[in-house]
Amino acid sequence: MTAIVPEAIDFPAPLTRAQAGDHDAFAEIIEQHEDMVYSLAYHFFGDRSRSEELAQDVFLQLYRNLGTIESDSHLLFWLRQVTTRRCIDLARRSRLKAVPLEDVELRAVEKHADPLLDRRLKQLVEELPEVQKAVVTLRYQEDLDPSEICRIVGMPVNTVKSHLHRALQSLRRKLEKHS
Amino acid sequence: MRNWILVFALTLAAAIPAAAQPINLDFPGLADRAEEVVDITLDASLLRVAAKFLSGKDADERAVRDMIHGLRGIYVRSYEFAREGEYDRALVDRVKTQLGASWKPLVTVRSKKKENVNIYANMRGEDIIGLVIISAEPREFTVINIDGPVDIERLSSLEGQFGIPNLSKEGSDD
Amino acid sequence: MNLDNDLKRALRRESPAPGFAGRVLERIERAEETRRKPAWWRAAAASVTLAALLGGYATHKVAEHRRGERAKEQVLAAMRIAGEKVRIAQDEVRAIGSHD
Repeated sequence: MTAIVPEAIDFPAPLTRAQAGDHDAFAEIIEQHEDMVYSLAYHFFGDRSRSEELAQDVFLQLYRNLGTIESDSHLLFWLRQVTTRRCIDLARRSRLKAVPLEDVELRAVEKHADPLLDRRLKQLVEELPEVQKAVVTLRYQEDLDPSEICRIVGMPVNTVKSHLHRALQSLRRKLEKHS
Repeated sequence: MRNWILVFALTLAAAIPAAAQPINLDFPGLADRAEEVVDITLDASLLRVAAKFLSGKDADERAVRDMIHGLRGIYVRSYEFAREGEYDRALVDRVKTQLGASWKPLVTVRSKKKENVNIYANMRGEDIIGLVIISAEPREFTVINIDGPVDIERLSSLEGQFGIPNLSKEGSDD
Repeated sequence: MNLDNDLKRALRRESPAPGFAGRVLERIERAEETRRKPAWWRAAAASVTLAALLGGYATHKVAEHRRGERAKEQVLAAMRIAGEKVRIAQDEVRAIGSHD
């Protein structure tokens, strides 16, 4: 037997209450999505403080646009899209310097296990061009298909596939070069 | 019951990160022999005070302000000597032996002519929650302990900024 | 090596510092507050603050200022020294790497 509860899925209580001005409900929404928003930024910049600031900005923007959110799935899509686009914009504006310690940590990677390998991979992702970085993060952090990613970044699906392919090639090449 | 209390106490002790135990950076008599000494002790309250005075408009100061957010302390001891052999190299081991199991070596650089640098990170999962840097060269001995979450990528990018008088060897040889 | 799995693990979600929602709500509160308060209220508040500063409070401020400036200088010096040592290690490792 399958229970279908369309209203509970499409329009959950916190969103409705938040739209009516309930701050506790908005806090619930933040808590539900903060890891996703913060992590998209963190994997983009590798900088906790900048990611916190960007994530706060996203939720502030959400607060001001709550009335335009139609459903829970729309909310998730909206947050992913706004966060990703803000990351790309900010990176393009400031052309942030990724880098420093990668070589030092590489040495450690060879001796130690996963945490440092993860760190190395994160750094390599941070060094990718903005759009490739966004596509890879959405693919692997959010587990999205190219067909979903293309709606978020506003590109044809084949362009997304091509960015993903080039990014993975580049990551493989850099990892093999150092191994 | 007593056994349970013991188990609880041991579990609690294991759960407390090594950072909770301050690292002893007292090196009696060393300052007297040194030509130049840098001795910095900043606990959490002083760091909060400092953060208020770091400008949000200046990019470098803002970067430092962001970095010290959430830190519990910064401790620096740096001694520069007129001649070689003025300090016992065993001091390096004295610092190292204080580091518990959660401390992992990130980098060990050994150089005959230049500095030997050891960097240890206190890891909680994959987060760095503390850093110890030991630098030993013939005429200089430096230990730095940063207690709290550290972004070492950003730390390395801070060097040589802020217009602070450079404490490097070129300056001291003059 | 399985790059797909490695990337999924490396890019898994992480949490912001505790109290994130509270900090966002504080920002919202501040923004709302600024919008709600009329200009005369802000001017009056500024006058009161100024009067307090001009009184005996000033002496305390001077001492606090000195303490703050000193703490700031120490933080900048500590961070510069730490950064310098990390950079030295990094350069050495790079040099070794370039000989490989």
